[in-house]
Order: sequence, then C-alpha cells, then structure tokens
Amino acid sequence: MALYQRAPYDTANRHDTVDDESDREEEALVEDYKEQVHFDDGMSELDRTTSFGGAAGGGGPQDMQAQLAAAATPLEFGAALDTKFASYDNYCNLFHCILNSEGPVDLEVPTYYWAWDVIDEFIYQFESFCRYRNRIARTESTGEEAQLLRDNPNTWGCYSVLNVLYSLIQRSQINEQLDAMKRNEDPNQVAGEYGNRPLYRMLGYFSIIGLLRVHCLLGDFSLALKTLDDIELNKKAMFARVMAAHFTTYYYVGFSYMMMRRYADAIRMFSHILVYVSRTKNFQKNAQYDSVSKKNDQMYALIAICVAFNPTKLDDTIHTALREKYGDQLVRLQRGGPEALPLFEDLFRSACPKFISPTPPDFDTPDLNVDPVDHHCRIFMEEVKNTMWSPTIKSYLKLYTTMDLKKLAGFLDVEPERLRSWLLVNKQRSRQVRWSEGALLDGEVVNGSDLDYAMQGDLIHISEAKVGRRLVDWYLRNLARTY
Amino acid sequence: MGIAFDAAPDRPEHIEAILNGLDRYNPETTTIFQDYVTQQCEDRTYDCYANLALLKLYQFNPHLTRDEPVTNILVKALTVFPSPDFSLCLHLLPPHILSPPPSSSPGSSAPDTPLAEAVTKLAHLNALLEQCAYRDFWDALDADDLFADLVADVSGFEELVRVRIAVTVGQGCRAVDRGVAEGWLNLQGKEFEAFVEEICGWGVGVDGVVSVPVNKENEAKGTVVREEVRFEQFGRVVRRAYEQPA
Repeated sequence: MALYQRAPYDTANRHDTVDDESDREEEALVEDYKEQVHFDDGMSELDRTTSFGGAAGGGGPQDMQAQLAAAATPLEFGAALDTKFASYDNYCNLFHCILNSEGPVDLEVPTYYWAWDVIDEFIYQFESFCRYRNRIARTESTGEEAQLLRDNPNTWGCYSVLNVLYSLIQRSQINEQLDAMKRNEDPNQVAGEYGNRPLYRMLGYFSIIGLLRVHCLLGDFSLALKTLDDIELNKKAMFARVMAAHFTTYYYVGFSYMMMRRYADAIRMFSHILVYVSRTKNFQKNAQYDSVSKKNDQMYALIAICVAFNPTKLDDTIHTALREKYGDQLVRLQRGGPEALPLFEDLFRSACPKFISPTPPDFDTPDLNVDPVDHHCRIFMEEVKNTMWSPTIKSYLKLYTTMDLKKLAGFLDVEPERLRSWLLVNKQRSRQVRWSEGALLDGEVVNGSDLDYAMQGDLIHISEAKVGRRLVDWYLRNLARTY
Repeated sequence: MGIAFDAAPDRPEHIEAILNGLDRYNPETTTIFQDYVTQQCEDRTYDCYANLALLKLYQFNPHLTRDEPVTNILVKALTVFPSPDFSLCLHLLPPHILSPPPSSSPGSSAPDTPLAEAVTKLAHLNALLEQCAYRDFWDALDADDLFADLVADVSGFEELVRVRIAVTVGQGCRAVDRGVAEGWLNLQGKEFEAFVEEICGWGVGVDGVVSVPVNKENEAKGTVVREEVRFEQFGRVVRRAYEQPA
C-alpha cells in the first residue's frame, strides 16, 4: 500500500488507492494500460532519434538520452555478432556511467517504463547471447564466429551481468527501502542520495525482478524465489504498474515453484496473472501484446502440467480458457501413464524459460555442450515418470471405501509389491509444501488431495474429503446478470 | 508454520553471513562451503540452501569443481527424500553430466568422467527411493562397490535413509506384514525389532504384523469442506445498491 502511494511516477488514480477494494484497483491498472499504449508510441519516436544520435560516446546530454533509449530497444532479429558485442559494450558504458560517476547521475528518464525495458532487454540479450554461443559450439565449433567467441570469453559473462544487477540494487538501497515500506516507514529515510532518485530506485527495483529471472534461467530455483524476499506479491506492488514486469514476475515465480514441486503455489501464481490478463486484454492491441500472448500460452501449458500433478479446482475463466487451448492434451495429461510422457515433455519444452549455461562452452569437445534445456527437462521428466501411475490409482480408489491390495493389483495387472510402492508414492506426493504467509520460500506441508488412504496390511482404507456445494460464485454471477 | 526452504537450524553464523551477502559468489568462499559440507557429513546435520550455493560456485567456476563435495552433497540429499532437494542439486550440475553420449558419434564422444558416472548412479538410487522401491534400493546399494565409497563420508547414511523410509511408511500404513517391512528397512530379526520398537515406536505382533500407531497422516478420515463466505465478496453488490437507488 505504502509503496503504491509513494511511487513517484504515480500520477492518475491516486485517490482510488485509498480504499482497499480490488475492483477499483483493477480499474486503476486498466487506466495504466491505456497510458502504456501511448507510451509505446513515444518509444518508437525515440528509436528514430537513436539512429542518428549514435549510442557510443556519451558526451552531451543529447547523446546520453540516445544511449538511454538505445539500451531499452531490442536488437534486430538475427543481428550480427559484432552488433551483439557492441551492444554489450554499450550496456557496460551506460551502467558504468550510472553506477560509478561522482554522485548520482542527473538524468531525465524517457518514461518510468524505461527502467523496466532496460533491465528486460539487458537480460534478454544476455540470455540469447549465451544460447547462441552454446549452439555455435555445438554445431559449428570450428567456424569464424566460434573463433571470435572463443577469443572473447568474458563478453556477456555471467559475473558481469550479475554484478550490474546487484550493484544497481545496492546503489539504490532498494531492499532497505522496500523493507522500510513493509514496516510502514518512510523509505526516503533509508534511500540515500542515490535511492531517492526515481532513476536509481526504478533500476534497483527492476533489477530484483531481473535477478529472479537470471537465477531461474540458470536453474537455481530456490535462490530465484529468495531474491523476492523484500517484494510483496500483490496488486499494489510496484511491478504491477508495468504490465510486462507484472507478467514476467509471475511467470518466473510460478515456474520456480513448479520446479520445487510446489504445484499448488505454482497454480496460484499462474492463475493470478492469467485472470488479470484476461481482464485487461481489450487494451492490449499493440505490438507488446504479441510477447504477452506467447507467454500467456506458455503459462496455460504450465498450468495444465501443474493441474495434472495436483488436481485442483481452477478459477472459471482459467478453466474455460484451458479447455479451449489444451482441452485434449489436458485430458491425456490427467489420465497419466506412459502415453502421457511425450506430452508432458512437449509442453514443458514449449513453456519453460530458455535455460542458459553460465560459462563459455567447450569449443574443443562439442559433445559436452548439451543444451541446458535438455538437462533441466530430463530432471523434470524423472519426476513425471515417478508419478505417472498416480491418476490411475486414484481413479480406482475413488470407487471404494475399502479395497484389497491384491485384488486391485489384479485389476491393474501389476505385481502387488509394485502397487504397494505406487500407493506410497502417491501418498507422499499428495503432501506438498504450500505457502500461507511470509516470504515465498516459507510454507507448510499440507494434504493437497481430496482423496486419502492408509494401508492395513493388504487392506486399503480409503476416505474422501467432500466439498460442500459452492453457492456464492453462482449466486453473485446470477445476481450481476439481473442488473 | 513449516520451516522455510532457506532456513537451517544448525547453520553457523559465518555461513549465514556469506549466504546473505555477495560473498556467496566469491570463489574464495568455495573452501568454506566445502568444509561446511564435510561438517554436515560428519555431524549428521543438513543444509540444502548452503549446499546449493556451493554447487552454484562450481557452476560459475568449473575449474574449482571437486568431485567429492559434489557427490557428498548428492548423498546427503538422498537422506532427505522425498523432498525435491536431490533434483534441485542436479539442476545446478553441468548439463553434460546426465546426458548419455550421443549414439550418432560414439567415437568422438567425451570419455565418461568418474563424476558423471557417480552422479548417474546416485540419480538411479534417488529414483528408486522416490518410487518407494525400497527393497530394490537396498539391493542396488549393496550390489555396486562404488556406492560404498560414495556414502563412506556421510556418517550414518543407512540409518538416516532407514528413518526416512520409516517415516514415509508410517504416513501410508497402519499395519504392515513383517516380511514386507523387513525388506523395506533392510533389517532382520532382533535388529529389526529393536529399530521398529525403539526408534519408530511401532509394535511387532506375534502374528507377524507390524502395527503403526494412528497419526494424522495414516488415519485417512473423511471430511466435508464447506465453502467459506466472506463479506467482501459481496462488495460489488452492496456498492451497486448505493449507486443505483431504486
């Protein structure tokens, strides 16, 4: 709340934030959206100025403005290696200037979305550079480009990228500021001479989100979640004011939860953002929507995976959209068994982040440069294989209150001892860590399944948690219709 | 309230300080983390979050990687199954370590390193534990001499795993045939009785049935979940009533 109110860029709708009602907030966010559409028009004008401004030097204020704009602009698709190297140098110059000048740099930022665009583009270029380098090492490790990459192992190095992000965070004292806001204190007291300025504050803030993403790309999912310790995930968070940031945050948090086998938490994250997108999609008629739309589909795929692991009642909007997009696949995922394995793998590959390897590849032994996506996918599939019989077992157990293990083994055509193990596996997997309060990594173990059972020798006792009729949603929906 | 993933009750202060600062990326802290892993192996404590930090240092500085801490970390992670820790560790290892050499070019493929071999075998053990194929797990552990070396550093490995197995069994069963339980725990006769009665607190009947006292997980009691209605859900309706007075 406090953060929202004090945000320096918060112009419209300030009065709305006073009351706590979520409807109003959503309207405010929608307003923001319209602003952002205009903002994109503004950006394309800036692009034009870059072309003659030149991004290198950094002499007069005009140059600096051009450099700022360039940093937030995507490289052309299929840009040459030289361009990628040059872009890296540009970022180094820019961040060096911002971080290491004497005292805070006095800069007029093009818009407050700029900070997000810079960090986003910076990490995107890092990610695509690493993947490109890895691919070259795998496929044409003797070519000219390979030689160039081999000679410049430190360009787009992992340590430099992390260094930039951590330095921005430290310079801006953003963690201290966020912490103060959490305690309802004035963040300006702890912000210092840098953190008081919007430029540093925003760069610092979005660097935290950037770190979340980088850790996730490197396969360090617990550290990714740990990074957000000081950010409270709710509609009032600062990132919620920039659609792309909002979206990115929830995608990576959800994905990290999924990889930590906290499927209920992952579903909660994906659902939140997908509902939000579906409510604002009428305002997303610009180019940016394409990227949102792609991530949108990816998140539906991930939700399908999580629901297969952890059957849950979804929000109606999500449920309908999921059936439309992945109806057939969802049924097959939920049925489980060996036939579902390729489907799990396809969906995972289509929806996972583009994982990277932090170190330069080994150009001398191409075989060692396995695509990191293959690596993470392989580990994930182990878990899928391990639980693939759970749906089958559950579908049988649902029909009985007691059941003889040997009889069920007969139905399923497996040895009783295998079945006994499957039952234990399913029992374990129905217990999951779930967040209730505090930091993202907190949580307690709860039973996420409506079906529970215990074995007494060869006899299986089965119980079910029945859900009473849910009337409120239905009642409200129909009431709204009568107006 | 559960325990947060990044918390460890026995973590020394200097490790805590490194983990919370930028020193967690400093290659010079590698040795400190390595010593900490050794300490965990010796005194039977466990700190996954710190171990992941060491694996991350190796990920960033491959030339610093030493096989022994890596395998020790993985073996320690085995002792806390069925948590996702083992997989989380695997995610931070170099991608080529788990992948079989491409069949298309068998000649040119890099030779299997001892580390790759060890990791692959430990991953197999982990798979058996996660599948609750406990009897197979003990057989596999016994059958390969390499495992004896790998688990040698981890004090009380078998006992730690045995306790975890007992916990999962206690969650899923009220009574188990003695023969089945002996296979799962890899203990027989007097040893079995001692472990089951003293450590697990289960009863061994004369009829050859091990009975597990009722706990929250194995009672499997049916419940009815009722809808929770909050006043805020009606906010829109109430507001409507004010905005459009009839």
